[in-house]
Amino acid sequence: MARGLSRQQIGVTVAMIDSYGDLVFEMSHNKQTRRGDPIRELDFAAIEARRGELGMSDGQIAQRIGLSEIQVMYIRTTMERRRFRTNHFQRLLELGGGKRFRHERFTAHEDRFQYHDDAIALREAMTFNPERARYYAEQGWWADDTLSGWLARNVAERPAAPAVILDGVVMDYASLAARVDRLAGGLHGLGLGPGDVIAVQLPNVPDYLVGYLAIARLGAVMTTLYMPHRGREFATLLGHSRARAMICLSDAGGFPAAQTALDLDLEKLQSVIAIGTDVAKAVPGAVPFEDLAAGTASADALGLPLPVAADPFLLLYTSGTTASPKAVPHNSHTMLGNARLGAAEHQLSADDVILSAPPFGHLFALYSFHLALYSGAANLLLPAFTPPDLAATIEAGGATALFAAPAHMAACLGMGLFDKHDCSSLGLMVLSGSAVPDEMARAVDRKLPDCAINQLWGMTETQGALYCRPGDSIETAATSAGQPAPGVEARINDDGELQVRGSMLFPGYFDNPGANAAAFTKDGWFRSGDLASQDRQGNIAITGRIKDIINRGGVKYNPREIEDLLDKHPGIAQSAIVPMPDNVLGERACCFAVAIDPDIDLDGLCQYLLGHGIAKTKLPERLVLVAEMPLTPTRKIIKGRLFLP
Amino acid sequence: MASTKSADTEGAKQAILDYCLRKGALAAGVADLEALERIAPPGHRPSDLMPKVKSVISLGVGGQTQGAWSVPAKAMGYFGSTETRAYTIAYGAAFFIEGMYQTPAIYCPPDMDNEKGPRVPLQSLKLHAEIAGIGARSLAGDILLHPEFGYMYYASIFTELALEPDQPMAENPCPAPSCVSMYRQIGRTPCQKFCPVQCLSGHIDADGKQAEMHYDMAACAEMSQQYEAVPALLAEAMAAEDAQGRDDILFDPDNKMLWYKMSVGSGGLLAQCFECMRVCPIATKSPLADPIRRSKAKAAT
Ligand code: SF4
Ligand code: SF4
Repeated sequence: MARGLSRQQIGVTVAMIDSYGDLVFEMSHNKQTRRGDPIRELDFAAIEARRGELGMSDGQIAQRIGLSEIQVMYIRTTMERRRFRTNHFQRLLELGGGKRFRHERFTAHEDRFQYHDDAIALREAMTFNPERARYYAEQGWWADDTLSGWLARNVAERPAAPAVILDGVVMDYASLAARVDRLAGGLHGLGLGPGDVIAVQLPNVPDYLVGYLAIARLGAVMTTLYMPHRGREFATLLGHSRARAMICLSDAGGFPAAQTALDLDLEKLQSVIAIGTDVAKAVPGAVPFEDLAAGTASADALGLPLPVAADPFLLLYTSGTTASPKAVPHNSHTMLGNARLGAAEHQLSADDVILSAPPFGHLFALYSFHLALYSGAANLLLPAFTPPDLAATIEAGGATALFAAPAHMAACLGMGLFDKHDCSSLGLMVLSGSAVPDEMARAVDRKLPDCAINQLWGMTETQGALYCRPGDSIETAATSAGQPAPGVEARINDDGELQVRGSMLFPGYFDNPGANAAAFTKDGWFRSGDLASQDRQGNIAITGRIKDIINRGGVKYNPREIEDLLDKHPGIAQSAIVPMPDNVLGERACCFAVAIDPDIDLDGLCQYLLGHGIAKTKLPERLVLVAEMPLTPTRKIIKGRLFLP
Repeated sequence: MASTKSADTEGAKQAILDYCLRKGALAAGVADLEALERIAPPGHRPSDLMPKVKSVISLGVGGQTQGAWSVPAKAMGYFGSTETRAYTIAYGAAFFIEGMYQTPAIYCPPDMDNEKGPRVPLQSLKLHAEIAGIGARSLAGDILLHPEFGYMYYASIFTELALEPDQPMAENPCPAPSCVSMYRQIGRTPCQKFCPVQCLSGHIDADGKQAEMHYDMAACAEMSQQYEAVPALLAEAMAAEDAQGRDDILFDPDNKMLWYKMSVGSGGLLAQCFECMRVCPIATKSPLADPIRRSKAKAAT
């Protein structure tokens, strides 16, 4: 409408707008060209001659092109409307305090980074109970922790301090940060950005940490694959996580990891980044890690935005590596807040040299790294666990804090390695990953009298939820996982199940509603699936798994004490008792064992157990000898993979 | 009301201009009506507004305080609005003329022509000032500059009193020598280089004079005149796919800011951005462009 007249009344059609629109717009005052200075010089002839360029009134345009003035006005304002960009003034806001606008440095809104749908879906999964979130923030448990922030702080405070040590080769914090910055720039160059999932399958080498920190710097999300994972696990985990890139070895001890990832031909997997010799030739199609890490376009120079604590940055798989994966997302609030609060509890400082026996693919190892980074300590690396290498690394590297699984220690004790190596530098040993046998803890304590032996209970979902503190007695440390970490609440329900909640708790499994429904109580506590008991001092001991409970015709019992007894039997290296279906009783107990004595039999074992006071109803009723047990990276037996022959 | 007194036009002109200067104008002059009538397009000539007009008086007041040039762009956007002080003086001058000379006068409305729609002013105050010799068109989208006072805001008074016209300025101060040397080096002047929407371009000739000036006024207006954003956002909201999309458009922080400005009539970011003037040596550094220096000069006399 113009002057209250409709388009019909002034005779403007869409065809007319399309035909004359550009012309009218260009002739109007919207585009002005002035040659010389004719108006000021009162050069009337020149003014008349150049009126069109200077921008004409609607009436003048109407006369020139043969439309009515009102038609021109209608067409002009329509064109102004069509071209009008609502966010134009944002350019001004980009200038900030007294900066000058530089066309070449400005990126229009529409050309700016956008999270893709998968990244948004993962961020959607970071849903927390608002009341709890507020409480955690008020308590300071959730703050502005990020790996990038911690790294920058270390660079500022202790640039030359050792950050990563492998085989005596030291990378200081400044060098680590520089390599991370370049790699992050390189990853950005591959089109990777905030919210993108990047999978990592590497042994515990420095570039694992460089990769992890670079992924975090980008605001991307790391998902980990264990070294034993092969094509089948790759397909499941890379597919479920919607990974856009993978960092792996070109040759993982004979397994062509990079080529395997490429061969999967996954639609979302844009880049396979390989570490190895002559990657470009060995794995055509893979991007050499070193090319990215040696690049010149660093993340800081590119001005890539820093991540924030609420961004998801880890997606870890707990089970279901081949079907129905359970993916645990964490952001820096849940993950790094736990480490920040834990560093003081574990009494760690910048003087510590921290060693993880488990692989970084496992959260426990990442927890040790987070503690080290927060504290400004050194990370002493052991690429792959063997008992002799672990003991030798502790000795050679002067480790002051060791994060290990009970099985790691059991193996070292069994081989007498604490007698062969001087491990007296250790002041703290945090044991986690599976139940810590009382006797083993005491044995380690005897070997390392100046080292605090602390059990820690945690899961990928909960991280370090319960732990002993360095001042705790060996009595407490050998028999319990101590007390809740700061920010953590624990309770034991009527069935004996340990349930936790707190600032460290993951928000829920990513893309697995079934698992989420089962994982939380109605009032929001996480069901650990572990059985626990609590002593008068509040120390909590883990006594078994709910799933491991054997229900023999209504008699329910926890086979843990029987397994502990069997593990002490001279003819048995390792045992596991699992329920086997039974038509009459519902379930009976079956004992899987790795035998030292090949002649061991069920009768003999039962006599042994009866002799140790085990009730007849709890005796195993079948014995299956296996060459080795299926183990988690923290060397916990995976009972679910013990199948009856 | 008719003219009852045969005015001493020289004396009257001086008295009127003095009045303007006394009230705070930095410069004032009388534009040649004949020239205005020839140059302004039909409908926008002085006589279209005031049929018996005999004289057009133009005055300019100081643009920004010196401090304004040192604040971030987003703050500048809040007080870069059209200078109402100039209108106040013009309004007073119209009364002054009527009171002193019993001759009709009006304060020329600075606003849009409601028959021609937004972006079309009733009169070009810029043209009046230029013809009255108190500003010359610059390469920065024809913003008028004055060699002494830099960049000013203008207002006009029309009267049926006949006054002797002034002449346009003999020399155009734009481009300043430093702009010429920058242009010779990089092909652009400061205003052209730093305009956030890159709506300025043009050339300087071999003598260091303006040869060509191109100004994309639509882009410049988009930068600031957000009234056009209101219907655009409503249209976008109506076309949104779902309720969330609609909410995002209507209630996102930027747009809520816009509703705020509209509802309370705040001038924030409704003026030009004036980044071009921020980097202009004439606007910021000419002898009396700086109000601090002006007051010192005044104190010294
Ligand atoms: S006011 Fe702003 S947008 Fe307009 S010409 Fe000047 S710098 Fe460019
Ligand atoms: S910066 Fe000022 S003086 Fe220089 S060319 Fe632009 S308007 Fe003219």
